[in-house]
Amino acid sequence: MSVDNKEKDVIEEKDVILSIRHVDISFDTGHKKKLVAVKDATFDIYRGETFALVGESGSGKTTLGRAILRINPCSAGEILFEGKRISGRISREEDRNVVRSIQMIFQDPAASLNERATIEYCVSEGLYNFHLYANEQERIAKVDKALQDVGLLPEHKSRYPHEFSGGQRQRVGIARAMIMDPKFIVADEPISALDVSIRAQVLNLMNKLKAEKNLTYLFIAHDLSVVRFIADRIAVIHLGEIVEIADSETLFKYPIHPYTVSLLSTVPMPDPVVERTRKHIVYDPSKLDQSGEKREMREIRPGHFVLATTKEYDDYEQRVAELEAKLAAI
Amino acid sequence: MSMQGKMLQDINLFEFADFDELQSEHIAAPRYSYWKSVWRTFFKNKFTVGVAALLLIIIAFAMIQPLYSGYSPIETPNINNAEMKFLKPSREHIFGTDNVGNEVFDAVWAGARNSIIISFVCTAINMLIGIPIGALWGFSKKMDKWMIEVYNVISNIPFLLLAMILSYVLGAGMKSLIITMTCTEWIFVAYFIRTQVMIIRDREYNMASKCLGTRIWTMIVKNILPYLISVIMTYVSRQIPLLISYEVFLSYMGLGLGTTNASLGRTISLYTSYMNGYPHLFWIPVGVLALISISLYIVGQKLADAADPRTHI
Repeated sequence: MSVDNKEKDVIEEKDVILSIRHVDISFDTGHKKKLVAVKDATFDIYRGETFALVGESGSGKTTLGRAILRINPCSAGEILFEGKRISGRISREEDRNVVRSIQMIFQDPAASLNERATIEYCVSEGLYNFHLYANEQERIAKVDKALQDVGLLPEHKSRYPHEFSGGQRQRVGIARAMIMDPKFIVADEPISALDVSIRAQVLNLMNKLKAEKNLTYLFIAHDLSVVRFIADRIAVIHLGEIVEIADSETLFKYPIHPYTVSLLSTVPMPDPVVERTRKHIVYDPSKLDQSGEKREMREIRPGHFVLATTKEYDDYEQRVAELEAKLAAI
Repeated sequence: MSMQGKMLQDINLFEFADFDELQSEHIAAPRYSYWKSVWRTFFKNKFTVGVAALLLIIIAFAMIQPLYSGYSPIETPNINNAEMKFLKPSREHIFGTDNVGNEVFDAVWAGARNSIIISFVCTAINMLIGIPIGALWGFSKKMDKWMIEVYNVISNIPFLLLAMILSYVLGAGMKSLIITMTCTEWIFVAYFIRTQVMIIRDREYNMASKCLGTRIWTMIVKNILPYLISVIMTYVSRQIPLLISYEVFLSYMGLGLGTTNASLGRTISLYTSYMNGYPHLFWIPVGVLALISISLYIVGQKLADAADPRTHI
């Protein structure tokens, strides 16, 4: 998909499917102090896009993804799916509806499949729970179809997960999510546990299914080159705070927040000469504005948000202008 | 240069071979079946098979022999015949005779029958109550809060005291003995299962099931219990011999079966007083008890090992 196409898609239909409003997620550590994993996260995800959440390990990206699936409760704020609140207490009926519409692809395909159940059961599990079939034949037909969609064979039904390779297992995980006909999928580092040789296969499959089934992805990752390949928009999260949100290409061209800049400087280049001379930028939070002013998400360019105080915002504004001038000169 | 030119020419000699991408997805290994693999692993070891056969023979013999001997501890036809008392084991009297002239052979097997029945029934009851409650207990944090208090109370009742009170209230007999050995035992099973469930409850595949909307009971039956087959078998293999020894102990203390029923415990306690003069009276029932317990334990352990899929490769 070319960049132009992507941008056009986003501009054409700004139909918000999921919106996260000032969400805090904290955990009881048993001591008096609470561990705050996510602080004041706010963003919208539009229908049909792939929204990536990028950050280092422990930054709270998985926690946020799990909050959308109602596994982790929010301690403040709310999450809206198609305009309806899905965080906190909701009715049983709505809960069932959310479960059907929002599915997850897990990080470790070996750990996320039930080792003691056949593939048939693993894939049918959602069908059983919602009784999404009229008779046995229809269920088997649906399972066969789902397996074929992800490039597996119907003969795999009677096999157990440990008989499969990592890539095949991950595709079983995808088939299990897809059979529910979801609208929204949270993909929690779906390829980081896979062999490099099969990562592309799984990513391409995800893109193919997205186009076929009109899906929206929240793609959680730490690998920036993968994110650049798959995402339409990217949010960078650092220590539970979202520091920058922008279109994928914009973020790579005009990274503003110092953390984003340093994160991008760590992307490995497949060129030994460049790699040797390249300088990694170390993120130093003490260089930020220390005035104590509360940071807010500010829109520095249309669709490009950054977490900043007023003073920082002015610095960033200057930086963007410089970068734009530099790029225009080329 | 000429080399390259040649290569360019030769390219025309090649053509794309047809290949079926799906073929690479095919799994050539034979189909895996859990229970088949369990039995295969179990029967691979000759020693285990031997012990299992011995155990089966003992149990079958203990179940059938008393039906033919019609032994009852209160029937003593030879009590006035001094020639029939305290005979050493011989061809006519395989295990010899006891202080009232009864066959020890009949007494031991009639006793073993009752002891085995009691321990099997008690284990079955404890497991049937303990496993479902323990599984729910491990899953539900709300239930855990009050169940742990119930456990603290029940587990602190001294077993012997409870056995004494129950035998006074209910009277001696098989039924009251079974009630004694199940009314609190199940909570230990439940506690054990609860701990095991808690270990695997938060694994990722359970979270995946939750995301698919699977209900707690389905999760317990499909996701949790299959993983616990092996540990449950280990527990059962310890529980059965343990309950046999409980029965022996309670009968020995006079709290078990009444005088009308034979049991290994009663037989042993009756014969203990003749240990010095006629040691075979004591050692034969003890030996049979040991044989039953040890073979049960070994078979249970081996079965538990075989039930662990890590041994299937």
